[in-house]
Amino acid sequence: MSLEDMDQSLLQDFLTEAGELIEQLDSDLVRLESSSESEHADLCNSCFRALHTIKGAASFLGLTAVTTFAHAAEDCLNCLRKGEIQMTPDVMDALLRSADIVRDQIEALSNGEDAPEGPQDLIDTLHALASGDDTAATDESSDPATIAIPQADELPGETLDLPAQKVDLIEFMIIDLQDYSKQLDEVFDKIGNDGTRHEAAEILEEIADNMIKTADFFELDALCDVVKLLGRIASTIDECPHDLIDETVIRLKAAKFLIDDQTEMLGKNRALNWPLDTFIERTNTLCDHKPLEDDVMKKHNDDIQQLLILDKVVTAEADATPTEAPAPVEESETDQPITETKATPEATAKTETKAEAAAPAKKTVEQTIRVEVSRLESLLNLVGQLVLNKNRVLALTRTLKDANTSNELNEDFVGAAGELDRLMGELQVSVMRTRMQPLAKLFDRYPRVIRDIARMTSKKINLQIEGKETEVDKSVLEQLADPLVHILRNSADHGVEAPEDRLTNSKPEVGTITLSAEHQGSHVRVAIKDDGKGLDREVIGNKALERGLTTPEQLAQLSDNDVFRFIFEAGFSTAEQVSDLSGRGVGMDVVRTNINKLNGSINISSKKGKGTTIEILIPLTVAIMPAMVVGVGNHTYSIPLQSILEIVRPGEEDVYSVNGQKVMRLRDTVLPLLNMRNRLNELPTENGDRFAVVVAVGGQSAGLVVDSLIGQQEIVIKPLDDAYTQGGPFSGATIQEDGEVCLILDVIELLKHTTNLGQEKAAA
Amino acid sequence: MSIENPNAIGDSAGNPNNDGTITAVSEGELLQLVSFVVGDEEFAVPILSVQEINRMMQITRVPQSPEYVEGVINLRGKIIPVIDLRKRFSMGELKDSSDARIIVVEVANRVIGFTVDRVNEVLRISSDIVDPPPSICSSISTDYIQGVGKLNDRLLIMLNLEKLFADYDMDELEQVTKNAA
Repeated sequence: MSLEDMDQSLLQDFLTEAGELIEQLDSDLVRLESSSESEHADLCNSCFRALHTIKGAASFLGLTAVTTFAHAAEDCLNCLRKGEIQMTPDVMDALLRSADIVRDQIEALSNGEDAPEGPQDLIDTLHALASGDDTAATDESSDPATIAIPQADELPGETLDLPAQKVDLIEFMIIDLQDYSKQLDEVFDKIGNDGTRHEAAEILEEIADNMIKTADFFELDALCDVVKLLGRIASTIDECPHDLIDETVIRLKAAKFLIDDQTEMLGKNRALNWPLDTFIERTNTLCDHKPLEDDVMKKHNDDIQQLLILDKVVTAEADATPTEAPAPVEESETDQPITETKATPEATAKTETKAEAAAPAKKTVEQTIRVEVSRLESLLNLVGQLVLNKNRVLALTRTLKDANTSNELNEDFVGAAGELDRLMGELQVSVMRTRMQPLAKLFDRYPRVIRDIARMTSKKINLQIEGKETEVDKSVLEQLADPLVHILRNSADHGVEAPEDRLTNSKPEVGTITLSAEHQGSHVRVAIKDDGKGLDREVIGNKALERGLTTPEQLAQLSDNDVFRFIFEAGFSTAEQVSDLSGRGVGMDVVRTNINKLNGSINISSKKGKGTTIEILIPLTVAIMPAMVVGVGNHTYSIPLQSILEIVRPGEEDVYSVNGQKVMRLRDTVLPLLNMRNRLNELPTENGDRFAVVVAVGGQSAGLVVDSLIGQQEIVIKPLDDAYTQGGPFSGATIQEDGEVCLILDVIELLKHTTNLGQEKAAA
Repeated sequence: MSIENPNAIGDSAGNPNNDGTITAVSEGELLQLVSFVVGDEEFAVPILSVQEINRMMQITRVPQSPEYVEGVINLRGKIIPVIDLRKRFSMGELKDSSDARIIVVEVANRVIGFTVDRVNEVLRISSDIVDPPPSICSSISTDYIQGVGKLNDRLLIMLNLEKLFADYDMDELEQVTKNAA
């Protein structure tokens, strides 16, 4: 099947899901390597499931390249799961690489290309890893079936006949069914209640949807029919007449009972086949909101067994066996001996924890829907426009007030405008919130990064992650990805020492890198801390001198942290040799550029021999923010409020000139002044140069001299990305109340200019 | 899946495509053009590359952009650059700007506006009467000219928008070096 023939929405779903699964697989694999005995089985299974789901969906879509490769990796993982092969770094390398390959394949697919075949050498490796035990694996997987045969006479139903590749998965599918069944119990409670029925019906529909996939897996018509019935009830119960609710609910319970029964039998490799015709027919009648004959409705006395007998699903005597089993709610208890007969004890233990963990989790899980990013983008765009319009209305209100024609209509208008302002604020916050994503999306990738580096450099590194639930705007998240990788790489490669060096310096053999995040007001603070060898002021200083970035006199005056800043210069590297990992001096430049783009700041502190901490402070969101609008010459410009410290009116006596650079004394500090009129080639105005807007970014500060202050405003940042308009000290533009465009000053760019000026002057 | 066959549409409208260039056309094909005046010359661009034509509006100057960049405008929430064609072609200042318009075009996925003295008309001409650009042309580099249409009483200079708006790299470079010097 070629890509074009494929149902695009199905493919899209697959890609999204597979992308998430791969992320999970990746982090689980890394955890697996260092996991304890108890976690081992869980993690193995979780990896296996992820890979298997991808494989299953890929084969459904006819993506042979993905299927074949995922299958090879799955085989290897399966052996690991069964304990047939030991977890070694080599095995892990192969598995991690496999995850990468599948990720590449998925990426290719989302770019509209065909998925590349998996590299043969890796497939061979995977086979080789699995092969020693390959035959054993097949033997074992067929074992339960052979064991089950002697029991066949005693058990109801037919022997389950599934293709060999599915046999391995029965265990998982049964767990799935058990999970769903537990969820059903909760739904039934809610569905009986008028208030929660609608909500419950939606959940029920979802469960039925999920279950049908599992039922399909077993290729059992009887099971599928029951599950479909669940779905049918779910879609109709909302409008169900009141007198029929009870009857419907009891039928739901009966359906669940049948499913549980089937699940139990599946655990013994048996499949039940019920004569469901009457049950389905009567339930369908209910779904059409017609009552059943009285005797059918009353006779069962709300007893599931009775109902099933009435509907001829089970006969009275065959019924004897299932009735021994307690009511469906306690069903899970009876599940355990069943799994015991079939699987290893550790699998049983897992079944238990799985089911238990799933039940409480279900209550707190919020309902979510998937929304395309483009829709959120357009929503945000609209909100942006609305904010601008609101600003305009507020401006008109002010004009009205100034016009001093106070009458009732005017007051009403002002009131309405105020309300609009408040609601807009709320809407804006809500929309921004939809775009927030937890940093875990990024952080979960990094254990892998650190692991790879540690292995390549034969170091021992432990990565601790804190606060990964901290949420930031999606665009912030994306921009943050690269910088964090670079910093972490640096910490692992240059920061943390080799184990023997660490021991001689009486440090623990295993180095620790801590990656933490937390909210700080409207900013997020991300810190990367290592306990490595720290930065060396002298080495960095000498390198900076060598590259002409500073002069010896200047260097002597700089604080340690300012000296460390030099590592962010492009091409700056103190590494004697360039390695695969780092040393080319590009990384930290990327860090600075990306953080700057986000209007963020970055700080380094380091103690020689003790370690380095890099702190990044970024605003939560980048699309809409408060700004100060100032007048320079005949035009207005916006300065983001988050970089403004204060605004002062310097008197003539405060301003000095140092080396041609205007500075002002502000309390105890000397602040370089930047005349914005000169910088922006504006014409002089009367009464100009009145205010100094004190801005600070990343430890640097300066006073921007402007002519007038216009006021604070919410601004919506529009890119100024055309080649014609790039290049000036602007981070974007915004649209003002009157519809005119107002440029946003790029404070970082402006400050860069001042330091350059200072250095040039000093060099000359 | 759309019902119409895209190929059929392509065939029936085989004249100018909307990337701002006039593709090689077969004999006698009709070209739909918008004509406008800048300085003493009359120019034309394919109608399909024109998004809209606006009256003059407030243009916000962008400091440190090339000299011929008039600034940026707010086009229904989108911010687009506006080029002064007079400055671009090194012509003098416009005296009476009452008829001046901003023509907004989409060229190679960029939306750009440019100012003209006035807009004349929408016209169809046969590709037969379009000559390749002459080797020497008044003030404009022949690179920017797609061809010259000979109408009964006048000449139409057909602009190659893609080239006209694509060679900013050079100019920008000059600008930057000038600034640095």
